[in-house]
Amino acid sequence: MLNRRSLLQTGAALAVAGPARGAELERVRVSIIPINDVTPLFVAIERGFFRNEGLLVDTSPSAGGATGIPGLVAGSYDIAYGNVVSTLLAAQQGIELRVIAPGTKIQEARNDHSAIVVRRESGIRSGKDLEGKVVGVNTRNNVIWLYARAWIKATGGNPDRVTYKEIPHPQMEDAIRQKQVDAGYMVVPYVTLATAKPEFEKIAHPYSAVQLGVDVGQYLATASFVQSKPETVAKFVRALRRGIEWYNANLTNPDLLPIISGFTKIEVPLLKTLTLPPAPLVVEPAQMERTTQLMIEHRLLRKPVDVKALVAPMAL
Amino acid sequence: MGQSLAAPAVARATTARSAGSQNPAPRPRRNWAHTRASGFALILVLLALWEASSRLGWVQGQSWPPFSAVLVAAWRGTLGGELSLPLLSTIGRMLAGYAIGCSLGVALGLLLGANRWIRWIVLPVVEMIRPIPIPAIVPPLILFLGIDDALKVFVVALASFFPALINTMAGVLGVDDVLLQTARTFRVGWSRTVLRVVLPATLPAIASGLRVAIGLALVVTVVAEMIAGSAGIGYYIVQMQYALRPDAMYAAVLCLAVTGYVLNRLFLIGEARLMPWMGRG
Repeated sequence: MLNRRSLLQTGAALAVAGPARGAELERVRVSIIPINDVTPLFVAIERGFFRNEGLLVDTSPSAGGATGIPGLVAGSYDIAYGNVVSTLLAAQQGIELRVIAPGTKIQEARNDHSAIVVRRESGIRSGKDLEGKVVGVNTRNNVIWLYARAWIKATGGNPDRVTYKEIPHPQMEDAIRQKQVDAGYMVVPYVTLATAKPEFEKIAHPYSAVQLGVDVGQYLATASFVQSKPETVAKFVRALRRGIEWYNANLTNPDLLPIISGFTKIEVPLLKTLTLPPAPLVVEPAQMERTTQLMIEHRLLRKPVDVKALVAPMAL
Repeated sequence: MGQSLAAPAVARATTARSAGSQNPAPRPRRNWAHTRASGFALILVLLALWEASSRLGWVQGQSWPPFSAVLVAAWRGTLGGELSLPLLSTIGRMLAGYAIGCSLGVALGLLLGANRWIRWIVLPVVEMIRPIPIPAIVPPLILFLGIDDALKVFVVALASFFPALINTMAGVLGVDDVLLQTARTFRVGWSRTVLRVVLPATLPAIASGLRVAIGLALVVTVVAEMIAGSAGIGYYIVQMQYALRPDAMYAAVLCLAVTGYVLNRLFLIGEARLMPWMGRG
């Protein structure tokens, strides 16, 4: 712990020394996952919203998404995009994090594109049908796994009688086709591509079925960063909100596609087939508390996490 | 190793001689079978199978492009820099870690080989750390080294360190006793004995350690890049996998295969230049 703190302090000291050397803009390093969820951030970069606030945002993608929180603690990043389950797990472990801005939220069922996909001829319809079967998830003990289990339980199955197999998102379609798994929890854009083919079928949208309104992902910083540089965090959140507003007002604007292609490297023609969901402007602690309850129910957490202390006021 | 290389060379020389004198007909066929070309022929057959399996639908899957598409992606990526720049940065990190790890490994290996007491104290620690798989220690190391070059150079150095150390030590222990006794007879000092007698006699063992290390170094660099950070060819492979561009992903894998092959060849050429007595049986 001492080591982490001293590392953080060194990092903060270096960051303070940076702009003094004549640079106009303050550099902020942000860890992202190259998926559509962070499009508003890139909108804010492309449209100069951060620059107007005096910030230079440097994004660092982590394809697996596993290095966001460790990178924050190590001082490699100032801000990280992370999913709610990882955040709550880290909070339980005593890592002092703060949720500073909203990221992804399933506000309406029609915007929930992630789905449990099966082979059409499999006959699987519910959690009950999945007992004794294999479900593909990107990572065990994480957000997708949690909501897959919750959905299985909600539809009459015993989630402990289902085997969960880790399959990376891009390989899920092949895994279902080749019967390595009986069902797979797929996300955009992979789910859109797979279910356009006749042999596959969506049977459920676990996020909206289990917890409509769930806050899936957020932007995080360490508590010490929020404390030592409140101005920087405020500027970041302000510019990001402008990015979210522009994104929500331009969901069908073709100008968005090159921005998304720029950080996901997915080609524009493929992006055209996707429907973009609106992004939230605020974090709802009540939704995070419901996620906490689910995590306790499925033995990811031992006791409740103080969500109110975890969410910084500027995220509300 | 040296002997197995020498055998075809002798055969080739014999064939050439006999063919020149009386029987020219069978020469090209036998020659061809004994050259590296036969190895490349197998590669070509396998690649043709890959192409056919994708084009004819033997393998169904969205992540199985035909090999020709991979070649096109490799060509475009190399020219455009999308692939060549990450590859260069990977090689840079690899060489930095390799140089650090091997220097320390050889130095400590000489010391351990030369002194029994140090060996007894240090070897158990070495044997404890050596079997740890590098991917297992990358996530905890992020806390101390961050996610950038420091982390990757460190793990590459760690991976290169052990083969260099173990081979050097074994080489020192295997030095002919007569050499050492001769040095002692002439009252050559300890450090001079290590530098002028032990080190040259150990060079073949060191070289084989360095060669094992260079293969490991490339693998470990790429694995570390796949786990942490967003630079290098390892990250590029994961990124292309998630971007549904398997042709570009395999293009990167192909570049790595070529890089590994070239590094090994370069190493062998350098070894033959610097230690011409090696590989002659």
